[in-house]
Amino acid sequence: MTVLAVSDLTKRYRRGGKPFAAVEAVSFEIGQAQTLALAGPSGSGKSTIARLVLRLLEPDAGRIEFEGADFLALSGAALRARRAKLQMVFQDPLAAFNPRATVARVLDDPLRIHGIASHTERPHRIAALLERVGLDAGLAQRAIHEISGGQRQRVAIARAIATRPSLIVLDEAVSALDVSVRGRILELLLDLQSQERIAYLFISHDLGVIRAVAHRVVILDAGRIVESGDARAVIADPQSAIGKALVAATPRLNRNRP
Amino acid sequence: MTTLLSIRDLAVRYRGDGLAALKGISLDVEAGERLAIIGESGSGKSTLALVIAGLLAWGAKIDGCIDWFLPTDADARGSKDRQASAINSSTPRLGRDIGFIFQDPSSSLDPVMPVGRQIAEVARAHLGIGWQDAFAIAKSLLERVRLPDPDAILRAYPHQLSGGQRQRVAIAAAIAAGPKLLIADEATSALDTIVQAEIVALIRRLVAEDGMTLLFISHDIALAATLADRIAVLRHGELIDLGETNQILDAPRHVYTRALLDAHLGLDAAPLLDRRGAQS
Ligand SMILES: Nc1ncnc2c1ncn2[C@@H]1O[C@H](COP(=O)(O)OP(=O)(O)OP(=O)(O)O)[C@@H](O)[C@H]1O
Ligand SMILES: Nc1ncnc2c1ncn2[C@@H]1O[C@H](COP(=O)(O)OP(=O)(O)O)[C@@H](O)[C@H]1O
Ligand SMILES: [Mg+2]
Ligand SMILES: [Mg+2]
Repeated sequence: MTVLAVSDLTKRYRRGGKPFAAVEAVSFEIGQAQTLALAGPSGSGKSTIARLVLRLLEPDAGRIEFEGADFLALSGAALRARRAKLQMVFQDPLAAFNPRATVARVLDDPLRIHGIASHTERPHRIAALLERVGLDAGLAQRAIHEISGGQRQRVAIARAIATRPSLIVLDEAVSALDVSVRGRILELLLDLQSQERIAYLFISHDLGVIRAVAHRVVILDAGRIVESGDARAVIADPQSAIGKALVAATPRLNRNRP
Repeated sequence: MTTLLSIRDLAVRYRGDGLAALKGISLDVEAGERLAIIGESGSGKSTLALVIAGLLAWGAKIDGCIDWFLPTDADARGSKDRQASAINSSTPRLGRDIGFIFQDPSSSLDPVMPVGRQIAEVARAHLGIGWQDAFAIAKSLLERVRLPDPDAILRAYPHQLSGGQRQRVAIAAAIAAGPKLLIADEATSALDTIVQAEIVALIRRLVAEDGMTLLFISHDIALAATLADRIAVLRHGELIDLGETNQILDAPRHVYTRALLDAHLGLDAAPLLDRRGAQS
């Protein structure tokens, strides 16, 4: 089943007075419990696509179908209801919160806003969410500045899954984490995917990470798709110039020895 | 091989009573080698870079010693004599003896000064030359770091350049006075993979051409291995492993080094998706 279908998505900005396309005629689909990765050099349009899909930005052209509905046509209560099914995790996802806000407060918001649990139920739900992402329920009363980067990313994932989404957009969500922590967060994402059938739009500049977790990959250059397909097949034998450059630039432990 | 600097029992505390950011560090850096310092965040990599460069925040408490064996001016004229100098008697000068490249080039570049002038200033300050000669050096450095149209870039301001171009300018400024030691602290971590590989290749070439010693600091063991002759591993402020790159990669002595290697997600490792049969 297709969760997200994007077609001919285009977003233009002006630069030096002239219009240029940050995203141009981009189309892709993501099925249930599938991970589609977006790769490409800096400025290739990955985050712009993420923001368009989340409707944090309005496109100049194109269609976004989410769970079978015309997502761009939705507004008001219908949009709010559908938004609960579409969540996001960014590189520093709790940056928008007051650092003194507690973990409980961060997780209470989505439960309250989307009417998922009553006031009295919420503490139990929050404890269950924390356990779901491998954290101690006792962490709920800590301020977010008092927990580690890896714990913060788990809280962000707990917040994202609170509304039982069908799709999570992850923009460089593991890029700032230490490698040991990164591995465990990726494992958690895979667990949640297989158990709750969540699809991921997974943005990363690191092909090693993409290859580890993504089913398919789309490679972008200057706002356009230059190549796409099975993640392993594309990374093993890229056809586009940018795909080849990305693969060649990825450091390897058993090559390029001095 | 001659030793460029010798670190003995180095410890650093940022606050008098606080935890040590570095402790018990003993390490010889050989002249002309490329030494990588790796470790996870907070392990003390930047603290080590800063204390070597003499840039540590005022108020930090430093124990132990760093002895430098910089060639004297007599060496520069051809003599083989080397003179040892203790850290507190004759500290090496940042800019002249040590070039430093930071993760964020904006932190070393002045946003309101054309980049040509910033590079020229380093050359002028340390080489005792006039502005005209200094600008000529700046222009040839912009060519050496492979920036297109050096004449235009000389007059550009940092914000007019991309992140990768700014890092090239910062590298040009760092090497403008011909330092013996180049320290790169996560110099490519803010860049995309393709630009990162270009900057690493640039650093490799410049270090070879000028016979500089390189301290390459990174959290990425695979990236460090593409450049380094030796790798030092820091953890919780301690130097827990040190060896030739091949030895560290093929036969790490410390379990933590092994764990770092295992956590690397390479292009040839079995994908996590397979390891757990989660493919749908
Ligand atoms: N609000 C904006 N106004 C003008 N140009 C923009 C705006 N947002 C993005 N851009 C431009 O659109 C292009 C795509 O940017 P985007 O942030 O999507 O890249 P990215 O692939 O996410 O890059 P990175 O890997 O650096 O995060 C870039 O050229 C960027 O400068
Ligand atoms: N200016 C500072 N004041 C106080 N503590 C600091 C300062 N800089 C770093 N530290 C602490 O010193 C330790 C080592 O930090 P750092 O050298 O920056 O590590 P790395 O570069 O490996 O991430 C950490 O515990 C960090 O919090
Ligand atoms: Mg981005
Ligand atoms: Mg650091």
